[in-house]
Parts: sequence; C-alpha cells; structure tokens
Amino acid sequence: MTRETGLARRIRQLVEVPSTDPDDARRRQLLNILLLGMGVLNLLALLVVLVADIADLYDQEWITYLYQVGFLLLAGLATIYAINRYWASRIASVLFLLLLTAILAFSDEPYELVQGRSLIVFTIPIVMASIILPPAASFAAAGLSALALLLTSLRVNITPNPFAILVFFAIAMASWLSSRSLERVLRDLRLLNRELDQRVEERTRQVAEALSRNQAILEAIADGIIVFDTNGRASLVNPAMTHLLQRPAQEIVGNDLDALLGDDTAQGDHQAIGDLLRGNDRSHSGLRFELHNKTLSVSFAPVRDSTDNVAGTVAVFRDFTREAEIDRMKSAFVSMASHELRTPLNAILGYVDMLQEGVYGALSEQQHDVVSRIIANVGELLNIVNNLLDQAQIEAGKLTLNNAPFSPTDLVEGVHGVMSVLAHAKGLELTRQIDANIPAVLIGDRQRLYEILVNLVSNAIKFTAQGSVHIRAQRHGAEQWLLEVVDTGRGIPQEAQAYIFEPFRRVDDSATRGDTGVGLGLSIVKQLVQLMGGEITLSSELNRGSTFTIVLPLIPTQEASWAADSH
Amino acid sequence: MGSRFALIIEDDADLAIIFAEALQAAGFDTGIIRSGDTALARLAVTTPDVVVLDLHLPQVAGTEILRHIRADQRLLNTRVIVATADPRMAEALQDEADLILIKPISFTQLRDLATRMSFQSPPAD
Repeated sequence: MTRETGLARRIRQLVEVPSTDPDDARRRQLLNILLLGMGVLNLLALLVVLVADIADLYDQEWITYLYQVGFLLLAGLATIYAINRYWASRIASVLFLLLLTAILAFSDEPYELVQGRSLIVFTIPIVMASIILPPAASFAAAGLSALALLLTSLRVNITPNPFAILVFFAIAMASWLSSRSLERVLRDLRLLNRELDQRVEERTRQVAEALSRNQAILEAIADGIIVFDTNGRASLVNPAMTHLLQRPAQEIVGNDLDALLGDDTAQGDHQAIGDLLRGNDRSHSGLRFELHNKTLSVSFAPVRDSTDNVAGTVAVFRDFTREAEIDRMKSAFVSMASHELRTPLNAILGYVDMLQEGVYGALSEQQHDVVSRIIANVGELLNIVNNLLDQAQIEAGKLTLNNAPFSPTDLVEGVHGVMSVLAHAKGLELTRQIDANIPAVLIGDRQRLYEILVNLVSNAIKFTAQGSVHIRAQRHGAEQWLLEVVDTGRGIPQEAQAYIFEPFRRVDDSATRGDTGVGLGLSIVKQLVQLMGGEITLSSELNRGSTFTIVLPLIPTQEASWAADSH
Repeated sequence: MGSRFALIIEDDADLAIIFAEALQAAGFDTGIIRSGDTALARLAVTTPDVVVLDLHLPQVAGTEILRHIRADQRLLNTRVIVATADPRMAEALQDEADLILIKPISFTQLRDLATRMSFQSPPAD
C-alpha cells in the first residue's frame, strides 16, 4: 500500500461519508467530489469577478449580479454538501441535479440552449444522475432536462425541439444500461470478495483449529512420541517423551535414536530397537525394554506425505512399568496362594489319614466312614485348588514344562494301576493297550502327561455308567504319537463339544450335579497339550461313548531310538 | 543300639507332627526342629539315623543343612529324606539326598517308606 500525502488524506476525509451500503457510499463520494470540484470552480469564478470588479472591466450592476449568483451558488453547494455528508444522499443528489439543471438552463443564450451549440449541456445531468443516483434516475433526469428545454423554449418563444428530447431519453437509456452493468459488476465483485473473505476466514480457522488440535493431542497423549525424519533424526517430540527420556525437548530434537537411547538401554534391546526403526524387522512391534528403571514398549510406523512417499517414522513409546509390576505381583500372589492354600489342606489330609490309620486309637465303623468322606472331600478340594493355580499359571505364562526322558509304557501302566481301583469300584473295566512301535523312552513332561491322563480317565469313569474305559498309546506317523481314552459312557452332545475345552464350562450343570469339580480340568488339559506342541480332539456319540485323542510330537532320545531298533 | 532316632526338620507345625507320627509309627524315636539354625546346632550334638528335611526353612536353608550333613563324617550313616513342593529342587538334589518326596506327602506314604528304611541295615557300622 502506498503512503498517502497529507493533502490527499485531507481530501479523502472531505469526500468520505458515513454509510454502510457500498453503493450509497460510492454515489455520495462521487457527489462530494462533484460538489467540491464545482465549489472550487465557483471560487475561481468569484475571484475572476473580483479581479474584473477591481479592474472595473464591466459595469457595476452586472458585477453585483455575478457576485450574488456566485455566493448563492456557493451557499447552495455547501448546503447540498452538508446534506450529503451528514444526512441523506438521495435528497442531496436530487437537489444537486436541480441546481445543476438550473445553472445549465441559464448558462447560454436561450436560443443556443434549445436549438444550437449548448443543447448538449442538458445531457450532463442525465449522465450524472445515473452515477450519483440509482441508474434508473437517469430517466427522471432526462425528464428534468426536457422540462428545462421546454421552459427555456417557452421563455423565448421558440418551438421546442422534440428530437432533442428523444435524444435525452436515448442517452438516459444508454446511461442507465451502462451504470446498471457497472453496478452489477461491482455487486458481483463484492459478493465474490465476501465469499473469498469467508473462505479465507474459514480455512484460516480450520488450519488454526487443526494445528491447535494436533498440538493438544500430541501434548495430552500419555505415550511418548518422537517423529524421525528420513535421515533418522528426531524432528518432533511430545512432553510425555521428554519425561520418559528425562531430557528437555531441545536436547532430543535433531538427535538420532542411538544418541537418544545411548548407554541407558541394554545392548540387545538397543540393537532390536534400531532394527525396528530401520524397518529391518517389524515383527517385534511393541518390543519391551528397560529405560531409567521403567519398562517401555516401542512401535514404529512410517509417516507418509500427501503423495504417499515416506517422509519419516513415528515412534510411540508406552510406559508398561505398572503392567509389568502387576504381572510380577500376580505371579507373586499365585505362588503365595499356592503355598498358603495347599499347606493347611495337606495338614488336614495328614491328620485324617492318621485318624484312619488308627494312630490315635481304633475307630468305630461310623467314625471310619466319616473320616473316609473327609479324605475324599479334602482330596477333591486340593484338586480344585491345584487346577485353579494351574490355570492362573497358564494365564500368566508361568507354567513351564519339565521335559525329561520317560517311558510311555510306565506312564500308561501307572495311570492304569491307579485308576483301575476307581473303575472297579463302579463296576467298569479299565483296559490299556501300548503300541510296540512307540520308542521305549521319549522326551516329555511325564508328571504333566500323567495328570492329563488321570484327568481324562477319571472323567471317562465319572460319565460312564456301564461298559469299559480304554487307554491306548500308539505311534501316529513318523513324527507323532497319540494317547487315547475311549469310554462307553453317555457321550457329549454336539453343541457342547464346541465349548467343552473352555475354562469353567461343563456340559450341563443339572446333569452333572453331584459330580465334583469346577470345570477347569479339560481346559487345563487342552492348554497343557498345546504347551507340549500337541493337539487334543474329541469325537463323541450320545449314549455310545466318547473318545479323547491327544496327538503329540514324537521326541525320542538317542538311547530310545537304539532301544526301539533293538526290539 | 536301642531304638533308632529320626530328626524332623520342618517349619510347619502340622506337617512336623504328621511326619513325626509317621516316623514313630515306623518305629523311630523322633525330635522336631522348626528352624534352620536350631537344626544345625542340634546336628552338632546328635547323630540321627534319619533326617526328614524340609527345604523352605527360616534362617538357614534346607539345602545348606543337607550340604552340612554330607560334609560331616560323623553323619555318614544318616539317611536324609528331603521333603519339597518344588519338583525342580527335587531333581537338583537327586544325588545328595537318600530319598526325595514331593509334597503333599501323606502320612501313610512316609510311614511305609520309613518302615522299609528302618528294616534296611545301615551301610556300615
């Protein structure tokens, strides 16, 4: 913008009007300019009259007349100016046109005005009217000029010039059209401007909002965030990250990951995080590591620009210290509960065992019966506690296998020996069959396999009213072997087969009332089998029986393969 | 030699009683020690035929006591029955203990094992 000079500013102030309607303001400004121009001309004319007066060029009467007209005009112009400036434009414009027409009507010889050289002056108010009033006012001005022409004609008794009047209206038409077009263009421009202004404002607001929203999100987010550029240098960091790294943002921005993690992380972690950042290995997303006595997880994601090119990498660090602590507390609780719950139960079992064995004197038959029931119930309770703790350990990922060489034959024989008492008590037959193709010694967790088999066999006995339960161990292809428990019981309904391996689910609460247990058995069996790299399946037919099949990887020892070959 | 003597080193009072009863039922005289340091003091003055040793003890750990017994020439003939709830510990101590029982240990189980042990003659006299 160019700087205004003092004079230009003064003039602009003179011309300015207090109006909110842009068309009105424009017209009033134009009128002011005209008024000022004419005022100046008027003053100059008065000056000329004054000079003529002093020089005594004309006779005094004419001079006096000129003075009167001059001052009258000046007063008229000033009045119109005041009206235009402080009150209303229409009245001022109309007054101005009337005054102008009046002046023009007396500006030349009447004859010249109506028929001759000055006829053209009557077109001035017509054109001006279309500028300082709404465009259609040019027709009114044409009427006014026609009236002035008629009056002047009458004054000097000349026949009015109808052709001139027609021309006035033709000029009015042209003025009206051009002014109207001009006004329309101006209005369109104004609308366009306003629309542009609105759009600019809207976009500015959106950008500001987005910026402040992104900034607010970044600052409010609890995870630590660093954005690395394509050169691997930090370009953006949020307050949570400065907290995690225990460094101010200025010390983080511009550094690469190595400089940031530095000596504060273990070498292995450092390497793994570096690989993650460089995109060598995205499989460890959510990698956990220790930093400043905190457990953190980190994941990386590429940042893409609008053309889908990689513009950097965003790293999200999450503080897992609390979760890690809770995990530790959970396993501490599990091991504590395991000891605290089992100890008194074992003591109770010990005491009733002693009572039953007659350590504290012989028991009556009734007492013996009660003691047996106590032993059975405590045994069941102990079993439930063990199951619950196994489940807790599996969930915490704490349950590990104790793999060692064992004899599958001994395993099956052991289970058969223990469980046949239970089967016979119910009038069932418990049979077993061990395939000769199974190596004599395998690697596995014998204790857990024993528990699994006992669980399946005791279930089979529980749900079989008559017939038999059969344990089978056989080779399954070159790489696997399987354990099977087959019963002739009431079977498991199709719909129950889907959820029978889920924790705390039993086939039918009403049907199993009276059978003990909390429903953890089969879910633990399944999880243990999975932990062993095996699979458990069930096939069952209602009232015909069920078959549980466990397929396990076959891991023979050196001696075992030798033993198998020597068969 | 008169009746044989068994020292029960177990911090849980109930288990100690049950173990003692089992050993008595097998024909042993019994003594009960509830902490590791008392056990070491007692072992310095007595020569038990059998020690039933819990591994989780206050003051001095069971493994420490086992090592002490094995290092003492005087206690060469002492049979050690280790009682533990931890199968991993059981495996680790397989060579040092005479017998390892994994808890829970029933009265009958311990009584029968101790009875069998009392009929075996000590390796040397």
